[in-house]
Amino acid sequence: MGSHEALSVDPFKRLVKLAARAFYDDITTKGDKQPKTGRSDNRGIAVVVLDALTRRQWVREEDLAKDLKLHSKQLRRTLRFFEEEKLVTRDHRKETAKGAKIYSAAVAATGDGQPGGREGDEKLKLHTHSYCCLDYAQIYDVVRYRLHRMKKKIKDELESKNTVQEYICPNCSKRYTALDALRLISPHDEYFHCESCDGVLVAEADKLAAQELGDGDDNARRRRHEKLKDMLQNMEEQLKPLMDQLGRVKDLTVPEFGSLQAWELQNAAGRAANGDHGNDPSKSSQGFGFGGTPMPYVGETKVEVDFSGIDGKGDIKSENGNGPMKVLPPWMIRQGMKLTEEQRGETKQEAKMAGSLTAVESSDDKKTTDEKDDVKNIQDEYVKAYYAALLKRQHEQEVHDDSKQQTSNATTSNGVTMPTERQIGMKSKRGDEYEGDDVEWDEEPPAGSSAKNFKVHDLNVEAEASDGDEDEDDIDWEEG
Amino acid sequence: MFFHIVLERNMQLHPRHFGRDLRDKLVTKLMKDVEGTCSGRHGFIVAITGIESVGKGLIRDGTGFVTFPVKYQCVVFRPFKGEILEAVVTMVNKMGFFAEAGPVQIFVSNHLIPDDMEFQSGDMANYTTSDGSVKIQKDSEVRLKIIGTRVDATEIFCIGTIKDDFLGVISDPGAAS
Ligand SMILES: [Zn+2]
Repeated sequence: MGSHEALSVDPFKRLVKLAARAFYDDITTKGDKQPKTGRSDNRGIAVVVLDALTRRQWVREEDLAKDLKLHSKQLRRTLRFFEEEKLVTRDHRKETAKGAKIYSAAVAATGDGQPGGREGDEKLKLHTHSYCCLDYAQIYDVVRYRLHRMKKKIKDELESKNTVQEYICPNCSKRYTALDALRLISPHDEYFHCESCDGVLVAEADKLAAQELGDGDDNARRRRHEKLKDMLQNMEEQLKPLMDQLGRVKDLTVPEFGSLQAWELQNAAGRAANGDHGNDPSKSSQGFGFGGTPMPYVGETKVEVDFSGIDGKGDIKSENGNGPMKVLPPWMIRQGMKLTEEQRGETKQEAKMAGSLTAVESSDDKKTTDEKDDVKNIQDEYVKAYYAALLKRQHEQEVHDDSKQQTSNATTSNGVTMPTERQIGMKSKRGDEYEGDDVEWDEEPPAGSSAKNFKVHDLNVEAEASDGDEDEDDIDWEEG
Repeated sequence: MFFHIVLERNMQLHPRHFGRDLRDKLVTKLMKDVEGTCSGRHGFIVAITGIESVGKGLIRDGTGFVTFPVKYQCVVFRPFKGEILEAVVTMVNKMGFFAEAGPVQIFVSNHLIPDDMEFQSGDMANYTTSDGSVKIQKDSEVRLKIIGTRVDATEIFCIGTIKDDFLGVISDPGAAS
């Protein structure tokens, strides 16, 4: 499992690193007023922070600041920036020192970072702690969107597409856009005229060209065109690694850490399941609760039986990887599968023992394997029984599902005969249902208004239909 | 784009209509008042297709008019940026051309007309390719893409482009005659 996860996480990490260098290299989080010289120049910090985050999952911001030897304020400013950029998820919460332990426990379970070793200070004082984590799914989208916008902007400009033409009055320099066109046309000639002074408007040369005007119109236009082309080419060249990485990541499962709380629970539970309770029994019995608050789900330990054979992956080494064939778990064996005896596990004990022994003879650590095999025998018996039960369960489940499906089929086939949508023809029927309530209205013959067109007639019927429930305690106009 | 939606309107009815045809009168008046109007929010109301409900009438002090809240279904037309429309050219000038798609007016400025089309002034102003094979003049039908809309409370005006793949003249009245 571990290696599988790493397979999908690493390309995403690389994506973050590439994006950091492409887009956030020269980001400063200082206010613009301060001069960017010497010490105050913190360009590059953004990249360092993002890199550090790729090596962590959820991390307390104080701890991250300590690790990076940054001032926590500076780090927070950077993180806030990334939060706005949608790269980072943050979570803030008030917690006691005890609550912070849950996080530490979770960190210990993931194996990255050192758990903060503050044992003594069990103060009940509440502190707001901030945590942050990369949001890989969103990063993937954000980077793609950013690239798309960049490309589109240049391309549109290049083809002067989708730009709203602007017009300017040479007399009073009042500006108009093409959206005002209707008001600007004159019946006398083929130009647009200024609303205030009736001057003939001129189309404003495109914005970029206006900036570097100098020579003739044509020349400027051509130069601008070339400049944009260069820009586009440069962009495609320089961002190629990033785009390639996006392509690589495309079909991979995105690493998800969930919300801070979910992540903590998951990792804490995983740790408990591994038998790593730590030395504090009270802690585990309390289920790592927040300062004694009962926490749902914490007590629920998940036992994952990880059979390397299930994944069908050759690279994962099984515990006694001596046998050339992998024994398929009984519940995976279906009728019609072509399997060797070994795979079925029928000749299991003897064959495997023999196989392992012969194989082990060539290997060095014979003793340990023998001991292991003893334990393994007992385990195998247990597992066999377990799967027998599981198989039975599955069969029952299947039978159950089948019957369920049949019943649901029956209901749907029934449902088809029922009118699901209101049809036009039905509306008049609906009107009839309300007849009792609406004595006055139904006296009116529907065909009486024959002079009216079809639409009105139709509406009338509808109106009657809705009439019944409305007019009960209404003023009875027709009676008066 | 067309939408089928439910809208609500308070209808005022003169007391002289209070009789057996009250409902007919209400609906006729609603259609007269509403169809063809434009609201910035919903677009142009093309047609009323049904009445959902007519609420309790409320007599206005002094006048004797009664206000009914009416909920009705209708088809509305609301142009969007990026939408492709087919439109009829109504006017051509040096700045570009105007076209209509149903109730919507669209202006296509000359820089959003393909570069190979030149403006020809004269009796029948038009934009023509250098080889004369394609011509845009009054009553031509064009397919265009909306690139901007101006939505006021009671008016929607669009600007469009024909400078893109598959846009431009789809039928030329000059060629047929
Ligand atoms: Zn002017």
